[in-house]
Amino acid sequence: MVDKNMPVMIVDDYSTMLRILRNLLRQLDFNNVDDATDGTDALQKLHQKKYGLIISDWNMQPMTGIDLLRRVRADADLKHIPFVMVTAESKTENVITAKQAGVSNYIVKPFNADTLKGKLESVLGPF
Amino acid sequence: MPEEIHLDEAHEYLDKVIATLQKMNRREKGPLVETLEHLSRFIRSTRNEISSMRPESASGNYLSNANDELEQIINETANATNAIMSAAEELEKLAGCIPPEAADRITLIVTGIYEACAFQDITGQRITKIIRAIQKIESKVNALAAACGHASAEPGEFGGPASPSNGDAALLNGPQLSNEAKSQAEIDQLFANA
Repeated sequence: MVDKNMPVMIVDDYSTMLRILRNLLRQLDFNNVDDATDGTDALQKLHQKKYGLIISDWNMQPMTGIDLLRRVRADADLKHIPFVMVTAESKTENVITAKQAGVSNYIVKPFNADTLKGKLESVLGPF
Repeated sequence: MPEEIHLDEAHEYLDKVIATLQKMNRREKGPLVETLEHLSRFIRSTRNEISSMRPESASGNYLSNANDELEQIINETANATNAIMSAAEELEKLAGCIPPEAADRITLIVTGIYEACAFQDITGQRITKIIRAIQKIESKVNALAAACGHASAEPGEFGGPASPSNGDAALLNGPQLSNEAKSQAEIDQLFANA
């Protein structure tokens, strides 16, 4: 059973994308959502609560999504958190690199609400 | 890294080579001198043309202004997108006040609006790629002008980052063109097989 009250961290350097993700997550009844604008900001916040899910963009500065993923997977306190990459980077090398770094799933932008729901269910279980 | 040679110096060296060759006998020097003289004329003409380009106009105004305009487009589309989403969020709240069938329909439409608003992120990333390309052109124009002895131009003054060919930086390419971009289904297949 998926706990929809668990804290979710969304990370993107575009405020409009953060707002889109927050709204789509709210429609899926995930209301406990925090956001960050890059990997450094996210990493700091991830240590302040027990998050149940990270949804992150790739192309951000100064810390990219792939760097954030590696830092999360290397951190004993965070490595268990499901991590979904949501990015416009759609090259084969990107998908392979992300998979090797331990990403839980990969969504290419632009995406729709059904894709988001489907990928979250594949990561968290049906809801 | 090879030592940088100023265009004026290159021209000076070339003149010296031509002068040395002119001291040689006619049969030895003929075609070679002709070629070098042609090259010398070409360098002089190119240098004059580049010097007359007023690079401060090209790099200092036109290109920088173009970047400012593009950044403004990103900001304006972000503002418009936020306004559209604010309206959609209000509509979604109203869905709770109407019969369930209509509410479901409203929610579906609002979801479509949220999805469509992702255009701002994608176009923003594409415009950022153009801004970086212009910065590179600006850097090249300045380097060329500096090589021609233009006092106001500094090589790399507005230099954009060099294109990385490997490592994580090479994976930061932003959105692909629509005929090159992979679909979610292709990504899923790649992900499953990676």
